[in-house]
Amino acid sequence: MVRILEHAHLGALARGFALLGSGGGGATTMLELVLADGAGWPFDVYDIDELDPSLPCLGAAFVGSTMLLGERLPGEAPFDRLVDAAERWLGHEVPVVCSLEGGGLNGLTPLMFAGSRMVVDADLTGRAVPGLDQMSLLVDRLPGVIATCDTGAGGVMLVQTDRPVDLERVIRAATIQAGGTGGTVFAGFTVGDLLEHSIHGSTARAFELGTAFDSAAAAPLPELAAALGGRLLGHGRITAVDPDPRDPHVNAVELGGTDGQVHRLITRSETLAFVTDGRLEAAAPSIIVVLDAVTRDILEVTELALARNVVVIELAPPEWWTRRSERMRHIVPSAYGLAELDGGV
Amino acid sequence: MSEQLRLSALLAHPENGGLRVVAGPPDTAWADVVVESTEAELPVTGGERLAVLTAVPPGTPWQQDALVRRIRDRGFSALAVPAADAFGGGTRTLAARLRLTLLHVDTPMALAKACWQLLEARDALTLAYVRKVAQSIEYHADGLPDLLRHLTSSVGHGLALIDSEGVLLEAGGHLEPDVHAAIDFTPWVDVARAGSGTAASVRVDSPSREGLRIAFFGDGLSDSQLSALAVAAEVAMPAVAARILIDEVAAVNDASVSSAVLRDFVDLRGAPDPEVERRMLERGWRTTGYHLAFRMSGRTRVDTFQLLRFITGAFAAIPADSHATTSGRGVSGWLTFSEPPTPEQVESYVVALHELHLTASRSFNVATGVGSLKNGSVGLTTSLGEAADAARLAANRSATGWFVRVDGLGLGQLLLAWTSNDTFVPAARSLLAPVYDAGHDLLVTLAAYLDHESGIAATAAALGLHRNTVSTRVQRIQELLGVDMDDPEVRLALHLACRTIRL
Repeated sequence: MVRILEHAHLGALARGFALLGSGGGGATTMLELVLADGAGWPFDVYDIDELDPSLPCLGAAFVGSTMLLGERLPGEAPFDRLVDAAERWLGHEVPVVCSLEGGGLNGLTPLMFAGSRMVVDADLTGRAVPGLDQMSLLVDRLPGVIATCDTGAGGVMLVQTDRPVDLERVIRAATIQAGGTGGTVFAGFTVGDLLEHSIHGSTARAFELGTAFDSAAAAPLPELAAALGGRLLGHGRITAVDPDPRDPHVNAVELGGTDGQVHRLITRSETLAFVTDGRLEAAAPSIIVVLDAVTRDILEVTELALARNVVVIELAPPEWWTRRSERMRHIVPSAYGLAELDGGV
Repeated sequence: MSEQLRLSALLAHPENGGLRVVAGPPDTAWADVVVESTEAELPVTGGERLAVLTAVPPGTPWQQDALVRRIRDRGFSALAVPAADAFGGGTRTLAARLRLTLLHVDTPMALAKACWQLLEARDALTLAYVRKVAQSIEYHADGLPDLLRHLTSSVGHGLALIDSEGVLLEAGGHLEPDVHAAIDFTPWVDVARAGSGTAASVRVDSPSREGLRIAFFGDGLSDSQLSALAVAAEVAMPAVAARILIDEVAAVNDASVSSAVLRDFVDLRGAPDPEVERRMLERGWRTTGYHLAFRMSGRTRVDTFQLLRFITGAFAAIPADSHATTSGRGVSGWLTFSEPPTPEQVESYVVALHELHLTASRSFNVATGVGSLKNGSVGLTTSLGEAADAARLAANRSATGWFVRVDGLGLGQLLLAWTSNDTFVPAARSLLAPVYDAGHDLLVTLAAYLDHESGIAATAAALGLHRNTVSTRVQRIQELLGVDMDDPEVRLALHLACRTIRL
């Protein structure tokens, strides 16, 4: 069924993707502003089965530092050169666009193409993830996927490889060269490929979550958790933020629970696990949402500062990940070298 | 197992591998201990035991949380691991919340050995203590306190020499008064407990001092530790008793040497003598500066050595450079100041010496004299002389509590005290002999006449005689003595002689 996105839905949709960001994925504010001023509302968003499976598809996302994106505003058409390069390499036009990352700001990125291409409601992660090699197409080793990205000063790079980690590392290096942030476009797959190798309906889920959140944001915590279809994991004050001795990107955020429990949120670029009194309560791919207990703001991991009073809610993981154990291997905490945190599902 | 492994006993064990309580219940006991390298090797059911892990635990807070959680879930009530003191606040809170005693240990194998000694190998524990006592005796000790320090540092527990009144000497800690009160002084070996304090004591068989005991003490020692320490005390006791005797002989010897030095110094009467100067400096006696001397002499026979020991012990309460030694039938001492003290300070020191006299009076029958503040080598001799004179006076002064200070005396009194010595009295006797032989009346008249400034009328009034009688008697006295009574020198000599004879 074609979903029609009204201009008025943008806020709720952004809130939903922020929740799916699991504490990462970047703030949606910038894209909300870009889209709010853009033309072409309302947008059509297609389900996968409404489109011809043979139609070529592309996915677009901003990569690099999401914080830098707030400082260096993206240009008017940040993906045009990347899409041109991909189409030239493939030798045909790509009429359909999907999302690369269904959490955080990139959940909204496909809408930037709404005027020129068909937006399909599918994405490659279902939540925020840090690595391009964690895209579902690459996790399932779908052949023929190429990627283009910015290299800075108008430069474009195209990568074709059978080894996903190369794609991650080369694009990461190019993004650093481009100044720390830039766009990337995946292509070389069809709508049909998305049927098996993508997470379906993230936009719909984000919209539902965002709407539920907006209506229950001021409600008591168990009620709010229930409205989101999630589980209230804990509520407490941040008493310590301990960096991991082995990986400076990893922090263990200690919460003094309201009933005396000792909670720990283990974060990297997203929240990865939640431990209460030494017992693992939740872990990636589950989506672990952190809210400010007072303002009910959806917090990113960088905002978890000492003495902040926070609420932690677990949302169900995208089912695509949990269906196969070889997929899980790419998303559970041990994928980042964090021991003893797998198995929270 | 009937014997329990108490945390307090382990903490008190001198070789517990650096055991420290990090979090959780501090007062706890276990039936047994399990030692493994990692958590995975521990038995599934802990059964309120102590788990000791030899491997360093994981470094991240959530792993430490999980370790604490799993150990507790297995039923262990305590966990000792290396590097536990680096565990964060959250993990400590969790341990307390789960009632798991979290212990840090530097050397887990040493802790395991300590547990084994306390639980199963008491003889090994006893032997270890006895061996340490033997090792400490091997080293030279400067005195009893030094010997006690050697013993305590080697055995690893506090050691005190006590009598029924209190602690005489202690090393390696402080024996609490309530533990001291709990010690029974009758039996040969005694084990005492009061609150968390514990002590194992043994009677000291010393020929010179009775009612002494030595006690090893510590907080929370278990019965097995105390009985092992009692054996250690029994082994250490002869060394302590011998040391008491040796120290006593050495002290007596030292007192007689210092007494001789002081005598030589006083005999010099301030004349410089490099040899005496050197011997005094060896004892830490400076002649430069300002000195306030005192003398405490026995009104009846006193043990001057014991008195000296008492006085030097009490010097701690006087904030000045103080010295004392035996001298004749008493003790002479002095306070030395490099800067001249103010009159107020001098007064406070005299008060302190008076206090010293009062405390000494409880145990010794003494009279005390205090000299005046004097400067330099001659001054010290003078002050010592004054103190000796004052002490001699004080011996007859019950009214002042047998305490006399030179600055508080009339000069006449002092003069009188000085004239009542052995050389002057016979001289006075022979001077007055003609009058003395002629009858008591003449002597009384002469004394009254001199007392009344050679006034006939005043003398007559004082004696209730007619002035002619007095004038006749004076004339007769003048004839008998063959002296000129108008000469002031003569009058002074006669006056003093009369006073001395009357005494």
